Amino acid sequence: MKNLNIKYLVILILLLNTSCSDDFVDVNSSVENSEDYFNTQGDYEKALIGAYDLLQSTYLNVMLGEIASDNTLAGGESATDVTGIQEVDKMTHTPTNQQLRDIWGWMFSGVNRANYILEFQNKTDFTGKTEIIAQARFLRAYYYFELVKWFGDVPLVVDKRFLFGDQFRVDRTPKVQVYAQIEQDLIFATENLPYVQLESGRVTKGAAQALLGKAYLYQEKFSDAAIVLEDLTLKGPYQLVTEYNTIFEENGKNNTESVFEVQYSEQEGAGFGCLQCSEGNVAVGFSGIRNYNGPNFSSGFSFNVPTQKIVDAFETGDSRKDVAILDISAWSTQTGATYSTGFEHTGYFNRKYIPRVRSSEAQGDRNLTNPNNYRSIRFADVLLMAAEAFNRGNIDESKAQLYLNRVRRRAFGDLLHDVTTTGSSLTNDIYHERRVELAGEGHRFFDLVRTGKAAQEINGFVAGKNELFPIPSIEIQLAGNRWAQNPGY
Amino acid sequence: MKRIILSTLFTLATIYVSSQNITIKGVVTDKSSNETLPGVNVIVKNTSIGGVTDFNGKYQISNVPKGSVIVFSFIGYGTKEVRANQSTINIALEEGSQKLEEVVVIGYGTQRKKELTGAVSVVSNETIENLKPTRIEQALQGQVAGVNITSSSGAPGAASNIRIRGISTNGNNNPLILVDGNVIEDLSVINPSDIASINVLKDATAGIYGVRGANGVILIVTKTGRKNSDFKYILNSYSGVQQTTRKIPLLNATEYALLANEAYAANGEALPFTNIGLLGQGTDWQDEVFKTAFIANTDITINKGTEKSLYSFGASYLDQDGIVGGSKANFNRTTAKFNFSTEILKNVNLTTSTVYTNTNRRGLSENALGSVLFNALNMPSNLTVRGDNGDFTLAPNTGVGIEVINPIAQAQNTYNKTKVNKISGSYGLNYKFLDYFSAESRIQFNHASVKSKAYNPELFYGSGKVFNTVNTFADLSDVINNSTVSESEQTYRDYTFDAFIKYERVFNDTHQVKGLLGTSILKSEGINEKNLLGFGANGTTLASVSVAGADRFQDNLELSNAPRKFFDSRLLSYFARLQYSYKDKYFLSAVIRRDGSSNFGPKNKFGYFPTASLGWVISDEDFLKDSKSINFLKLRTSYGVIGNDRIASYGFVSLLSGEATYVFNNQLTYGVALGAISNPEIRWEKQKPFDVGLDMKLFDKFDITIDYFNKTTEDLLLSPQVSGILGVSAPGALGPIVNAGTVENKGLEFSIGYKEAISEDFKFNINYNFTTLKNKVLYVGSEAGVLFGGSFGVGQEPPSRMEAGFPIGYFYGYKTTGIFQTQNDVDNHATQNNASPGDLRFVDINKDGIIDIKDKTYIGDPIADVTMGLNFSFDYKNFDFNLYAFASVGNEIVRNYERSLPLTNRPTYYLSRWTGNGTSNTFPRVTTGTTSNTLFSDFYVEDGSFVRLQNIQVGYTLGSRFIKKTGIDKLRVYVSANNLFTLTKYRGYDPTTSNGSPIGGGLDQGFYPNPKTFLFGLNVNF
Repeated sequence: MKNLNIKYLVILILLLNTSCSDDFVDVNSSVENSEDYFNTQGDYEKALIGAYDLLQSTYLNVMLGEIASDNTLAGGESATDVTGIQEVDKMTHTPTNQQLRDIWGWMFSGVNRANYILEFQNKTDFTGKTEIIAQARFLRAYYYFELVKWFGDVPLVVDKRFLFGDQFRVDRTPKVQVYAQIEQDLIFATENLPYVQLESGRVTKGAAQALLGKAYLYQEKFSDAAIVLEDLTLKGPYQLVTEYNTIFEENGKNNTESVFEVQYSEQEGAGFGCLQCSEGNVAVGFSGIRNYNGPNFSSGFSFNVPTQKIVDAFETGDSRKDVAILDISAWSTQTGATYSTGFEHTGYFNRKYIPRVRSSEAQGDRNLTNPNNYRSIRFADVLLMAAEAFNRGNIDESKAQLYLNRVRRRAFGDLLHDVTTTGSSLTNDIYHERRVELAGEGHRFFDLVRTGKAAQEINGFVAGKNELFPIPSIEIQLAGNRWAQNPGY
Repeated sequence: MKRIILSTLFTLATIYVSSQNITIKGVVTDKSSNETLPGVNVIVKNTSIGGVTDFNGKYQISNVPKGSVIVFSFIGYGTKEVRANQSTINIALEEGSQKLEEVVVIGYGTQRKKELTGAVSVVSNETIENLKPTRIEQALQGQVAGVNITSSSGAPGAASNIRIRGISTNGNNNPLILVDGNVIEDLSVINPSDIASINVLKDATAGIYGVRGANGVILIVTKTGRKNSDFKYILNSYSGVQQTTRKIPLLNATEYALLANEAYAANGEALPFTNIGLLGQGTDWQDEVFKTAFIANTDITINKGTEKSLYSFGASYLDQDGIVGGSKANFNRTTAKFNFSTEILKNVNLTTSTVYTNTNRRGLSENALGSVLFNALNMPSNLTVRGDNGDFTLAPNTGVGIEVINPIAQAQNTYNKTKVNKISGSYGLNYKFLDYFSAESRIQFNHASVKSKAYNPELFYGSGKVFNTVNTFADLSDVINNSTVSESEQTYRDYTFDAFIKYERVFNDTHQVKGLLGTSILKSEGINEKNLLGFGANGTTLASVSVAGADRFQDNLELSNAPRKFFDSRLLSYFARLQYSYKDKYFLSAVIRRDGSSNFGPKNKFGYFPTASLGWVISDEDFLKDSKSINFLKLRTSYGVIGNDRIASYGFVSLLSGEATYVFNNQLTYGVALGAISNPEIRWEKQKPFDVGLDMKLFDKFDITIDYFNKTTEDLLLSPQVSGILGVSAPGALGPIVNAGTVENKGLEFSIGYKEAISEDFKFNINYNFTTLKNKVLYVGSEAGVLFGGSFGVGQEPPSRMEAGFPIGYFYGYKTTGIFQTQNDVDNHATQNNASPGDLRFVDINKDGIIDIKDKTYIGDPIADVTMGLNFSFDYKNFDFNLYAFASVGNEIVRNYERSLPLTNRPTYYLSRWTGNGTSNTFPRVTTGTTSNTLFSDFYVEDGSFVRLQNIQVGYTLGSRFIKKTGIDKLRVYVSANNLFTLTKYRGYDPTTSNGSPIGGGLDQGFYPNPKTFLFGLNVNF
């Protein structure tokens, strides 16, 4: 009996040891490994959705860009409500600003997701791949354009992801080189994308041309800008929507004027813990009327409130004024709507992007899930950019007037308001037109900076410093304390 | 490896030699009562030869080598050793006292206390019975030197953080917990009454458990029966009430309104309150939130032993409401346990243990912005709970932030429940052979099903509030149903298989050699079974709503890329231990392990981890042998390397587990994206504990243990903040796990016990212990040299850091020197943004004339310098009395439960605020304007030192006359008060609470305080 038992035990131990060789601890995850992906067309398409996803987080770039300008004040509940936003409004922001860090992290997340596809662009072949690559390259350019606008020189990575450890090796790439990559990416996209996509929300040839023109304009490459923008106006399928007041409504989503539009939805819930995860336009809820009860709109947090200065900038008879600006007390008198006043209450709200009455599909937190698409590049913007390129590049004043007046004729509904100036007067007229046409759409601050007018228009703006925002100090530390801070911070 | 095991086996087998044998018999009795003792173990020392006394205390063993030593041992009695020179040996055993002969469980075996070379603390059954803990952690806190316990919450069923000798790792600091050899993660599944003893391994000797023992090991032995004993029934029951220990003094309505007016006026704004005279006291929301709650527990244990088998069955039921939320925070637990062991063949023993646990927990949001207690502190005191029409009063929509809502409404609208069903088993076979050998194999498993359900009805707390599920009050009654219900289910299961061979022999009566050779494998996995979200559910109770009954639902597992099997973690280990002792005076123990973990990449999966320890019983030397004052003195030391792999699975590969959702054609479209950032280089974290200790007994009355420890952790596994360029803030992305530094924990442990019997009727004993701890980060591997964590206020930089030269998780902010009294003060100070008279004055640390982030510095840390515990008990005739207190000195806590907005309520210390030159140099002025007073500074850091009277108890045991008549062995009734009072300067609820994270601990956002409880109970044995 004794021997029998020993035998069993020895066998048991033997079994245990043989069944458990070292590969017992090699375990594969049931989630796909990123290195083994990109085996089918579907894989590429799915990864591309990931790269699009971060477009939704640009709500912050738009709202903060507007607040930074002379168009709106921070507002909110009190002087200490989201201090990062309050600081940017007053141009007192420091390298510890949380919202600036969000923009930094979110835009680089977009870059990395686009680069993930491009890193594996040669792995699997199928028809239609070039179009996927072209979309990915547009998206990379879009995110990098935001980064250079906000921060100037930023680490550039092409066709591969930043991997853990790279942050201690890469430097800030000079802005010129980043722009060069943006141009290359957008040229590729213009050459490989159609003007019309089957699905709304997809990047088109027109979007790539418009963004390319904008990138040229920011670098004052006026003739390059004029060529690509003119080509777009001639060959593209875009035209101005007749009724300006329909553009920003639910029915105006992806209209014929929309060259590129960031898509939002209210069908999924969201929370403050991950604002970048929301499928809705977070900026809209932030800009809404505090404690609003009444028709057409729903309430929000009363940030981003227009100043009297922008209200006064509209000429008499400009139909755009009442679309861009909601005068809440007049509205209240007219409709009986009630509301409360928040910090820095001006009596005005950014009507293009405040919450509308919500559908039954809307998910909570409703302040974070507004479905208003962001009209990122409108055809009106393209026309005004073209006008600017032809004018400032001394290429063709009459074309510049023509483009400008197309925008003005819609605004005033007549030819009486056509501009006939030339030279620097025409330049100033174009600047003015950009301001009122694009009020509330997040362009003003960067337009003022690139045209050298920021210091004279924005209270607290320090020339030589506030053209760029600071690199978040914690990001400098996390990259090994090697990067120089932007001047003045 | 297997070849080594086999060859060792056979080599050792050949050493076996036989000699002249005799048969011995006799009777074992209790020395004081002279009654015979059944179930006593009678064993030939260092062999497997032996037996057990029968119902009449008789035994007989044959094949005893003449002249060998017979050991008589019995739980609760002193062990006796007698040389086998005659055929009849009658022995009387003495109850208790003989501590040195107590058997202590160590890894894969037991040792007599005398033989121990490691730092092991024991919590006895006696202590547990005295304390009547509702949770086992309460029996450890303050009882064992070197063990520090904080709870993340005082809510029923909340988990505790157990730290043995400081914080040494960032991933998971919890020690390995074994119940009868079975690994458990959560102590709340065990009924404290089932426990026979708790042993805590604190030093390198825990290394025999390898990987999972790196943070120390807690070994829990549950009660079993005695051999040859009749059915024994033990019934314990108590019930009582719980109350909050503290309410934070808050401004009443009049004070609140005056202060708000002052703040508005300071910023040149219109006053919010004009008719203050009518406000009166208003509402203290804490009075509305805190309620007296009940608690009740009953358990029964039935034991039985035959000559060959032991049976033990136990069952318990605990039911506890919360002091916040009452039944909305209810926790109940049902446990059933069955232990069975038997000798199935000669020398072959089967041991089984099966435990079933069912817990149901409901909870309210806590310790966060907008949690119930946070809202009770910040809700304006001029508001009433309900309006005239009976509806809940809404919080203002301006001036208090979007998180502050009516806490009573919030509690009432919370519906959730988490149900855990868990079955654990441990089944082992032990075979003794060839006199000196035994082999054992054991399989253990845990299988847990966790089901959660939460119902979020249509809610409107005021415009813009984050907890709203509808936009306006009117939407509550419209046709659209915006309520949601979620149902989720996960399965967790693990299997451990251990097999080992032991060899034990004494040569020439002087050299004792023990060898152990074994292997262990573990597989642990988690499976997502279900995650559904239903829209448009209707009901007024949790039970009445379900996803199935909702208008429509979505399957979150389908929509997201969340894998069904979300982790699969495995370990493969081989280990060997050699123990040698010379003349029972000098002891040596050495362990080597080879551990492989699936959590590391191909290059780094395996590690070798050696540990060694030495002991010297000095009191057995000639020069101390006859000492009257020093009865026992032992010096021991240990050192080793233990690996730690407690990190999330798959950290070395980059998986597509991120979130990718975008809108095309107005439809949500789902893709894939990168999840956690990978770090292919991650490798074993190595803990290197050094310990030197003294155990002594003086004048027959004092038991003293002193230990010095120095535990260094290298290649600390962390998940720190990383550079944003890596894409770490993308939806669904996470930071990588890195090996990022070295942390040192060193300190001194001291414990002393004193026992005295003044007379037959009056006995008492006192135990006291303290532990000092110095935690220092020696090195941080990231290029920045700093790691960040935690959060303070809204939108501020992380307040906690890990940096060389400082304690881990220290607080980093501005130092203050009083308050600017005059504009002149402001002008003469370094340039400080927004500063006005009445504001906090920050110290210009770098003396550059500007107050900015470069002036932030060390302003405290959450690690206590000294913790201590005191236990005093006495028996007088039939009465017993027990008192137990513990203390913590030198830890700081950050006050982070104030929302600090213009119209939020405030604690009463604001009454001493600065109102003009010379009025205060401590508390700044109030204003609605922008100030830097809300920045993280030492103004918010408070001393968290405390002394707590944890338990006071009086019991009465009924006289033997009554007992004889009824057949009851013992009947005791008692009253007990737990957590009766706490002496502390800390202004918050409870200085003992902490979220437990190494970087980011000690930040108080309104911790749920541990309640005080008053219990009445009884213990019956029959």
